[in-house]
Amino acid sequence: MRHLFATLFALTSAAGPVAADLDRVVDAHILPGYAAFADTTATLARAAADGCDPDPLRAEWNAAFDAWMAVSHLRFGPVEEQGRSVIIAFWPDDKGMTPRSLARLVADRDPVVGDPEEFKEVSVAARGLFALEFLLYDPQFQPQDPYTCDLIRMATRDLAEIAAVVSEDWHGGFADTLRGAGAPGNAVYLSENEGLQVLFTNLVAGLEFTANERLGRPLGSFDRPRPNRAEARRSARSLRNVTLSVQALQQLVDTLVDVPLPETDAAFDGAAWAAAALDDPSFAGVSDPGDRLKVEILQQSIKAIEVAVLAEVGPALGVSKGFNAGDGD
Amino acid sequence: MTRILLAGLATTVLTAAPVMAVETSEVLATYADIAEAKYSDSLTTAQVLKNAISALITAPSEQTLAEARAAWIAARVPYMQTEVYRFGNAIVDDWEGRVNAWPLDEGLIDYVDASYGGATDENAIAALNVIANPSFVLSGQTVDAAEITPALLEETLQEADAVEANVATGYHAIEFLLWGQDLNGTGAGAGARPWTDYAAGADCTNGNCDRRADYLRAASDLLLSDLEWMVAQWAPDGAARTTLTGDEAAGLQAILTGMGSLSYGELAGQRMKLGVLLNDPEEEHDCFSDTTQWSHYYDALGIRQAYLGQYTRSDGTQISGASLADLVAEVNAPADAQLRTDLDATMVEMTEIVDATRNGMAYDMMLARGNDAGEELVMSAVAALVAQTRSIERVVTALDLGGITLEGSDSLDDVNAVFQ
Repeated sequence: MRHLFATLFALTSAAGPVAADLDRVVDAHILPGYAAFADTTATLARAAADGCDPDPLRAEWNAAFDAWMAVSHLRFGPVEEQGRSVIIAFWPDDKGMTPRSLARLVADRDPVVGDPEEFKEVSVAARGLFALEFLLYDPQFQPQDPYTCDLIRMATRDLAEIAAVVSEDWHGGFADTLRGAGAPGNAVYLSENEGLQVLFTNLVAGLEFTANERLGRPLGSFDRPRPNRAEARRSARSLRNVTLSVQALQQLVDTLVDVPLPETDAAFDGAAWAAAALDDPSFAGVSDPGDRLKVEILQQSIKAIEVAVLAEVGPALGVSKGFNAGDGD
Repeated sequence: MTRILLAGLATTVLTAAPVMAVETSEVLATYADIAEAKYSDSLTTAQVLKNAISALITAPSEQTLAEARAAWIAARVPYMQTEVYRFGNAIVDDWEGRVNAWPLDEGLIDYVDASYGGATDENAIAALNVIANPSFVLSGQTVDAAEITPALLEETLQEADAVEANVATGYHAIEFLLWGQDLNGTGAGAGARPWTDYAAGADCTNGNCDRRADYLRAASDLLLSDLEWMVAQWAPDGAARTTLTGDEAAGLQAILTGMGSLSYGELAGQRMKLGVLLNDPEEEHDCFSDTTQWSHYYDALGIRQAYLGQYTRSDGTQISGASLADLVAEVNAPADAQLRTDLDATMVEMTEIVDATRNGMAYDMMLARGNDAGEELVMSAVAALVAQTRSIERVVTALDLGGITLEGSDSLDDVNAVFQ
């Protein structure tokens, strides 16, 4: 798709203002991504309302998580209001807050699970996709236990509500805010450049998060690998999340940029190849020197995308990286 | 007529003179001078803390403990104003974990309440209790801890087993030894360690008072030597200063990177928003002493000072000089005005938090589930920090610093090595 536009661009404008298209990112990447997340979480909530047999719930939960991976790198706009992105995906969890918070609710039979408004006050560690992963996969919880089932129902309903609000807020306003970056009266993005910059910042931050957290945390050091720190290892989604995040970031680039990006394309292909070569869904192999190397190669291949993107995409858009949530410790 | 002529002349002069009234080198010099002053003040106040700790150890009493706590609180004031130097200056960032690492699994150091639990998935020695154990096994090796020395803390215990929560040194380790755990949850009150935890003989509570005193002494000695080292880095020939001034564009970027990273990812995100979202009183930066409001306040003040080129020293002396604000005002006056407004707005929000704690709502109470007023206080400050981050980004754009950080260059080399 991009290459068609790239050719057109080359024919029509040798030195156009900006080699990018905010409308296309919004219409082909952001809006359908959030709509799918809203749909899949609604389906999950309906399934939970019907019953807490873990097998069908796990399938719907996985579909919702897949949909989240298509947009998880977008850390601006409606998803950043009221802590929504943190509620949806509270990870990493250094202090084991998720199992502790859930265990406390279950032990206390906390009536908060009966009231959707009250549930919004509960710690984020006990809400969202990762809380549901514990409830559906960790042996310490029994989904069919009546209280636990109520908790699952409330958590899925809460998640679906948040996903719906994010999707609606994008459709109902923020899409135009981003599309109209630099238009008179746009108080969020004072120039088109600022609209492009926020996407570029999120692209780079998304690559860094996948390389440093999704892969870096389980890798630990050679002497001290940390397989228990892999993201979503209980559901064996760790590798899948890496693969899907890279695909989502590639789609962001494809829908955003109008000029040829040979290094970037090659780097994305390299990462896809490295991910496909790995048969280790939860990164348990980081403790084995041979298997570990493949995970390290995957991590390096994602760092290579970042290098390519900084060299090609930033200049193509005429922007530099802004600040992101990962800038702290 | 005269006025028009003058205006015309002024325009000509402005356009014909690209040399700015504010020199970047002077802006960087002010920034480095203020760093030196802030770390010197941190050192001076840490020396007072060290003396108060010596008095506590020599003559433990309610009063000497209270004086040591007061000295700790005073020592934090200049230090927190230095945090804006962290993310932009690698020398500071590589070092700061020794003095200000947080959060910590305090059970590594001393006794804890039963509710603390024991070892966790993340940390096998979360409840090691070095003070009670003169010998223990760490990563398969037996460690002789019969003597508690700065070297033991620094070389063996700090980040032991490659776990960041194993914090054995710095302000927060000392804070824990002076206050103890805050067991009030999201209720009022700080840690309530009794002075008798340092008492001699039969008066000693919770055991091993002599080893606890040894630990406290070693940690305060280390804090002093670490701060001395950092003061030297900002001296005229110090490495932090020469690195900063060696490349003017990179130097300006270092200032802005520090301001933006502390505003957004670290303070607004990690330290403030997450605590509210988790309803967790342990997500409090200074949780033992219950002084988190000051920690946030002085962080924000430090960000403002880095931009305005101003600092009030611990002895009241004012330092000011050519500033980043002056530079930005020449290039893009609206961007400068907006950032100044935003920095002021953040200080108003931080002051409201401090005032609320004075009126009885401790910072950890603000994090409690269902405390809407507390949540509003914290989240308003978060919103102000987010707004000022946007303005910092606009200043980066206005100065046209080229953007791409130098961080990527190492991984570039690594990546090529892997794929060759």
